[in-house]
Amino acid sequence: MADEADALSQFGISKEETDKLVSEVIRFLLFKSHQNSGCPIKREDLTQIVTKNYRQRNLAASVINEAKTKLSSVFGYDLKELQRSRTCSNAQTRLPQSQSNADSKSYVLVSQLPIEVFRKHVVEETTSPMTGFTFAVLAVVQLAGGKIPEETLWHHLRRMGLHESDEHNPVFGSNKQALETLVQQRFLHKEKVSGPEGNTLFYDLAERALDAQVSERVKDYISQVMEKRTFATSSLWMLIMLRRFDYKLG
Amino acid sequence: MVSLSWKHHTLIQALISRGPLKEKEFQSIFTAVTGRNPGAAKKIFDKYLLEINKELSYVHFELRACRDQYDGQVCYGVVNTVSDDQSKLGTKYSVPQIAFFKGIIEAIAQDEAAQGCISGFDALNIRLENQLPSEASSSQQQQAPAAFKNFSMSQKDKTLDELVRDKWLCRTSEGNIGLGIRSLLDLRSWFRNNDVPSCEVCNEAGVKADLCPNEGCTVRIHKYCLKNLLSQRDDKVCSGCGKPWPLGKVTKEEAVEAAVDDEEENETQATTALRSKKRKGRSQRDSAENFSSQASLASSSGATRRRVTRSAAHLN
Repeated sequence: MADEADALSQFGISKEETDKLVSEVIRFLLFKSHQNSGCPIKREDLTQIVTKNYRQRNLAASVINEAKTKLSSVFGYDLKELQRSRTCSNAQTRLPQSQSNADSKSYVLVSQLPIEVFRKHVVEETTSPMTGFTFAVLAVVQLAGGKIPEETLWHHLRRMGLHESDEHNPVFGSNKQALETLVQQRFLHKEKVSGPEGNTLFYDLAERALDAQVSERVKDYISQVMEKRTFATSSLWMLIMLRRFDYKLG
Repeated sequence: MVSLSWKHHTLIQALISRGPLKEKEFQSIFTAVTGRNPGAAKKIFDKYLLEINKELSYVHFELRACRDQYDGQVCYGVVNTVSDDQSKLGTKYSVPQIAFFKGIIEAIAQDEAAQGCISGFDALNIRLENQLPSEASSSQQQQAPAAFKNFSMSQKDKTLDELVRDKWLCRTSEGNIGLGIRSLLDLRSWFRNNDVPSCEVCNEAGVKADLCPNEGCTVRIHKYCLKNLLSQRDDKVCSGCGKPWPLGKVTKEEAVEAAVDDEEENETQATTALRSKKRKGRSQRDSAENFSSQASLASSSGATRRRVTRSAAHLN
């Protein structure tokens, strides 16, 4: 923490100004996270807060680091970095070649509280259905080997009572939109693949699903489900389960 | 710089994720993470809140308590204290929705009868055009009204539901629209800037309050503040005009019971030294000054909190 404070002082701007910048970055992260329901926030949006008024090189990076420290010490949030590891076909911005790697990063705020404390006191009840949906979808994709064609995914969701065409689901509203939200939140990545029969849409696991913490919990979820034999009635499920079950034991 | 512990973080994150929480719920979280009861270990509870606010002030947030004016219950929330570019992003509501909301708050807050609510019908008939931003350029002024004019009844209805769900507004038992706990927590400075009269007792905005029946007198007091006031004083008069408060609000029997209650409480319970000093001081000042001196206001609002629960429980 002292290091960051020292790092900031080298830029020749007053402590009040650096404090103000750090505060603005933190506030931006908190308000934007609320507004976009946990979808990742682009690093370039953060750097812009600094570069709008200041031209010192690396100032933005130092400010973001200090903000990260404060978010952890004051709020108990981890500013998790996600690397945009591939050029998504549905990316909203096309990054020019000259843009450095650093700017393709994005961030999400994740609570650092122990999971039991988080579940007991912090979880907002209305988000539980979406969390359950996230786990179910990630479990399906993971069991399919990490990549699944759109048709097959919806086949499994239909077995859980969620139909693709349902726009008025009492919990999710539009089921299609709920799935799309997982893409926006970078749990899933979708990609059109051209094949012999035309284009097929594939879903595979994106950064947040590949993060160690999340994939561990998905595996836990899968093993709990296996115990309850919820999916055992589907012969297709049995096949997948047998084929993929060894990855957990290995 | 104090680094907050996971216990502080739990309290903060709970309020951020779940929104404002009633006192009971918030205190139960405190008890769960610290093992201490906030009622018994008040100093520790207050210390936690002070420590939290010291850190939150860096980002212009505050952990605040306020009383829900509709049911008298205390609620806690984390509120933003400064309006800037970042905070303008922190909403999922569209511009017309926000204009609609502002129109409703104004209508409720400016009600001269301080009923604290407007009917559903009136809410749906709020006109958005009155909410145009003051710095609008001439071209903007052309645009804004279009979005505002096209804001349909069904959109207003839907927005009302969302605002109630998010606790910016509430639905009263009679089916009217009142201010939600988020608004009461968040809009403290807005009420002051817009000259909403404050309650004589607790100095918070008297959005839903009892007015002194004397027509010339502008005194207003929250129902729960009035109950305490009347139960403590022998002369039940308005501090502004000296006319007696109508005892219809609190019946004589209830007032006497509550007064007896308080005396018992003072004799048997181990109250803080401060409180017993205040009682002495007050009875000495009684004859000379009226109730609304600042010192006794500040001390009574702290002391009344416990009394509210006791006398309210008794009256139930």
